[in-house]
Amino acid sequence: MTSSLPGFLFAIPFFAAVLTPVVGYNNPKLCRSIALGALLLLSVVSLWALSEVVSSGPLSHQFGGWAPPIGIEWVVDGLSGLMMVAISLVSLIVLIHAGPLVEKELAGREVPFYALALLLVAALGGMVCAGDLFNLFVFLEVGSLASYVLVGVVGGRSLLSAFRYLILGTIGASLYLLGVGYLYAETGTLNMADLAVRLPEVLDSRAVLTGLLFIVLGLAIKMGLFPLHGWLPDAYTYAPDSSTPLLTSVVTKVPLYALVRILFWVFGIETVSHHIPVLVVLGWLGAVAAVVGAFVALSQENFKRMLAYSSVSSMGLFVLGFSLGTRTGFAGGLFYVLADTLMKAALFGVAGAAIYQCGAKTISELAQLRQHMPWVLAALIVGALSMVGIPPTAGFFGKWHLIVGALEAEKYFAVVAILASSMLTAAYFFRMFQRVWAEPLPSSEPHVLETPFPIRLSLGLLTFGIIALGLGSDLVMGIIFESAIPKGF
Amino acid sequence: MTDILLHRPNFVAFIILFLLGMYIMTVYPNLVKKLIGMYLMQTSIILFFITLAVKTNSTIPILLPSTTALNPDMYANPLPHVLMLTAIVVGVSTLGVSLAMVIALYREYHTLEEDQILEKMQ
Repeated sequence: MTSSLPGFLFAIPFFAAVLTPVVGYNNPKLCRSIALGALLLLSVVSLWALSEVVSSGPLSHQFGGWAPPIGIEWVVDGLSGLMMVAISLVSLIVLIHAGPLVEKELAGREVPFYALALLLVAALGGMVCAGDLFNLFVFLEVGSLASYVLVGVVGGRSLLSAFRYLILGTIGASLYLLGVGYLYAETGTLNMADLAVRLPEVLDSRAVLTGLLFIVLGLAIKMGLFPLHGWLPDAYTYAPDSSTPLLTSVVTKVPLYALVRILFWVFGIETVSHHIPVLVVLGWLGAVAAVVGAFVALSQENFKRMLAYSSVSSMGLFVLGFSLGTRTGFAGGLFYVLADTLMKAALFGVAGAAIYQCGAKTISELAQLRQHMPWVLAALIVGALSMVGIPPTAGFFGKWHLIVGALEAEKYFAVVAILASSMLTAAYFFRMFQRVWAEPLPSSEPHVLETPFPIRLSLGLLTFGIIALGLGSDLVMGIIFESAIPKGF
Repeated sequence: MTDILLHRPNFVAFIILFLLGMYIMTVYPNLVKKLIGMYLMQTSIILFFITLAVKTNSTIPILLPSTTALNPDMYANPLPHVLMLTAIVVGVSTLGVSLAMVIALYREYHTLEEDQILEKMQ
């Protein structure tokens, strides 16, 4: 039973996604229950898989009875287990949040919304569990297609941003596929574990070098790493409020997971830091992204756009952490990825709730939150504190380990970049809160009520999660150190 | 250099098609032309993979009851073909979604030029 768990991680959301339009044809109301039920089941199974991994090592499932490397293998180890738990729990919580927003924004289109959201989660699960490079490509594209549609579904500006996202995303995916082709031509295998064995013999070949560069470039476009983040701000600003928390919290993290998997598990730390030093380049790009993203966020008036640039900045911090090349830096980067899925879901959830309840799009209009929506305001405050890195929130522990890792690696530019980006993050959130409290409230405002229960429940869960992940950081860091650190660290 | 050009015409064609596709995608403001460039680029990658599988004097990789000794050199590599079948499906789905988006954009703005759509949004 436990050996087929990786298969279930993909099968549960996928079959629910197929079931949704069939059932929803007659009973559109049932779709939401199917989606939430499937994601609840998926969360339980992911937690189970993670506990199996922690207690008895990686799980591997072979499809069709062919042993790898010939057969297709699905693997869940510490890294994919943690990512899977984060994806399933956060997508469950944001779909609870999406309920009232979908009814208002996408009335009559609930069925395709839930089907696409489930398909997106299934594809992310497939990417996280895939044991070979080509399956990773297929699920990358399945997930991207679902996200293009979720971005563009309301028409108008969002449609053009979705089209640009599609064009850039397809370039990224094509570059990735081309890189996989180069590696296949040189080694004759696609299985990640098999590649890791065969690559060290052919490291001097130019095909391997070119292949790795194409893969890094392609995935960097997909994850919105500065300066290839062109599609990201528009797509996240104009996407419907019901789907933004789902898109921003998990969609860019999974290409990052793929990059980490390929760099550290397939090529190995020794190769990527000495033979083909991509880590140096990624470190500098990450440092620049962390600072520039936060700096641009400082001048945004639109709340969602500000958060979108803050995503660019966070992506820089993750990449910086992974490229430090020390155990603590790697663990800090991974912990910050997990924390950021919760933080981005909470903050974009607040943005969606503010637009849903009183049409507040700019940071000045957020002042209306303080009149009638104390719960949403509380979530905003906790999310902002965690983004800045104030204890005991999860963001603090992520940044703390990142800085310790940078000091261990004696990369002082990284320390400066992390501190500078935190200062700038503090500055743009301070500017926002200053507006929230300084702005006079419109006296003739019609009575605005607190948001519906599902929104409050999901924001409450996310806020609780941010603080709980901070307080329980020892436990999570223990799991990371024990089972999610690649060989050679 | 000329050796490579003469003996590897497929790879030269792949590079030309890939760069041409990317050029069309990035330079032309017409949305449908962008998609033509996109499809050209995806097809060039299919050409690249299929070229990897080619062997001179080889046959299709099907085992017949009469086959006795197995000599891998006799057969073309089937794996890149199978991978590219999947990649074609992925490419067609992407094209389908993008054409649906182009139709929706045309219905809303009555033009296919990106710069005119941007003007109308202002």
